[in-house]
Amino acid sequence: MLAIYKKELRSYFTSMIGYVFISLFLAIIGVYFYIYNLVNRAANFEYTVANVSFIFVLLVPLLTMRIMAEENRQKTDQLLLTSPVTAADIVLGKFFAVFTILFMVVAVISTYPLIMSRFGEVPYASAYASLFGFLLLGGAYLAMGLYLSSLTESQVVAAVITFIVFFITLFMDNIAKSISTGSKSAFIFFTVLILIICFILWLMMHNLTVSVGTAVVGEGILLAIYLSKPALLEGSVIKVFNWLSANARFYNFYMGIFDLSDIIYYLSIIVLFLFLSIQVIKKKRWS
Amino acid sequence: MIEVKNLVKRYGNHTAVNDLSFTVNRGQILGFLGPNGAGKTTTMNIITGYISATEGTVTVNGIDVFEEPEEVKKMIGYLPEFPPLYPDLTVWEYLNFVADIKKVKKSARRQMVNDVMEATKIADMRNRLIKHLSKGYKQRVGLAQAIMGYPEVIILDEPTVGLDPKQIIEIRDLIRDLSKNHTVILSSHIMQEVNAVCDSVMIIDKGRLILQDKPENLSLHFGSTGGLKLVIKGNKNDVLNELKKIGRITKIEEKESLEEGTVSFTVYCKEDDDIREEVFYSMSKNNTPILEMQSIRMSLEDIFIKVTQDDAFINEDKPEVYEDKTEDLSSSADKEEVSNNAGDL
Repeated sequence: MLAIYKKELRSYFTSMIGYVFISLFLAIIGVYFYIYNLVNRAANFEYTVANVSFIFVLLVPLLTMRIMAEENRQKTDQLLLTSPVTAADIVLGKFFAVFTILFMVVAVISTYPLIMSRFGEVPYASAYASLFGFLLLGGAYLAMGLYLSSLTESQVVAAVITFIVFFITLFMDNIAKSISTGSKSAFIFFTVLILIICFILWLMMHNLTVSVGTAVVGEGILLAIYLSKPALLEGSVIKVFNWLSANARFYNFYMGIFDLSDIIYYLSIIVLFLFLSIQVIKKKRWS
Repeated sequence: MIEVKNLVKRYGNHTAVNDLSFTVNRGQILGFLGPNGAGKTTTMNIITGYISATEGTVTVNGIDVFEEPEEVKKMIGYLPEFPPLYPDLTVWEYLNFVADIKKVKKSARRQMVNDVMEATKIADMRNRLIKHLSKGYKQRVGLAQAIMGYPEVIILDEPTVGLDPKQIIEIRDLIRDLSKNHTVILSSHIMQEVNAVCDSVMIIDKGRLILQDKPENLSLHFGSTGGLKLVIKGNKNDVLNELKKIGRITKIEEKESLEEGTVSFTVYCKEDDDIREEVFYSMSKNNTPILEMQSIRMSLEDIFIKVTQDDAFINEDKPEVYEDKTEDLSSSADKEEVSNNAGDL
């Protein structure tokens, strides 16, 4: 794993991409920091952090698009997969390398509150809590980007898909706010969701019994809940949307709420997508 | 060393490898020969653990590739069809990375990278970015990657593609050198290459093993059409009459003569009949000296084309394997060396 980590990290700096990412990131944060904290004289660094979190959507696809797709295109995956390294080594090495780049950015901006402390009182706790949340949020985005990149051979396709997915997650909590909370609409929503899942299952496995079986079982359970305890479904759609929104939980950090469940949420997103990436690599062998 | 049993690989309805079995012994160079799409690359990808097989087993040193892929991967160096290179790294950085993932000890790494670069003659290019190298050099860096860590088994998929003739000879020498300490499997669709390098040749077509033998024996099994090409100094009728007296000759064909005052014939006899001496003495008695005499034999190309086009061959249940006959055939191996008995008597 260490071998891949070192090589990946170096490759960010032998090509432009590492420098571009770090400098762009710092430039944007610099502008926000200047406007929010210096010009408007606010001591709360978390304002800046919260407002720049959208740049993950723009910059992370840039960083992760080549991460696996380029290996697939250059056929260098053949070297990795015929060497005595496991799929987990490959994915973890790559993830930690790209995370290190993000960490470098966060390390630089973590000095900003210290700069502000020269001019007055700075609430360090909320500033660094939000930075910690920022790092977790970034890690979750990176893991998603890595997974999406492993699905394709083309960097452009990887970048576009990643961008679209991030864009949707960004607006998920706004969408959630405008959704009706009634149990009937929840029932319709989950019905559609089950059908979509079954369709994807069929596309992947070409097995009619499995996908139809899943649909029947899923619908059965849903119907049973809807008829017996409709209260369970009330507001559940919003919960699902919020769960899918990577940003929603970040605002807890921003508001100074250091909740363990939020940390676990981000860590499990990271673990989930790294696990999926490992499966994609392993699956290649069996296709 | 390597044992492949009943290997089958299917992609949907397409069968890429169909019931392939063979063994490779330590220190042997095995050549895969076959037309494009014969299943050579697929077989190699399966042995190296890059893809799985639908059925069958592959063991290297007694370890199953499908059960303990990591253990097997430690023993194998692989040069795929397209060398897996990172264009943005220098040769030196790349080979260090390869040494690292192949678990070469840190203390030995520097020395080994240098040795490997020496062996593949890329030491001059160590600080160049790989994307700036020519095709031939890229191929050599790929080869360097395959032998990094000196694995017991080296698998090379068309190692000389894209090289110039001088480089081809160098790479062949290198492969022969490697076989002293390593087991080598290489694939090719170039006959001379297989002929020059390999101890044993497997002809594969449509995923099936068609024939396995030593390269020099292949032509013996198929090449004994029995016949001589002759260029004789003298009158045409004179020579023809004399040739007709030799009873063992079954057929005489006249060819166009290129030299003034000579005649050209191709004579045929029964398979594995040697009429060279008889022809020589009869012409000698006749005072029509033989200027050139050449036995007809099938080239590997001919065998290859015959074998891969012949449906009867492919449909046979058991492929023909001539593995152990080599000893008693070695004496007759001289025979198929093109015998030029040129001489003014």
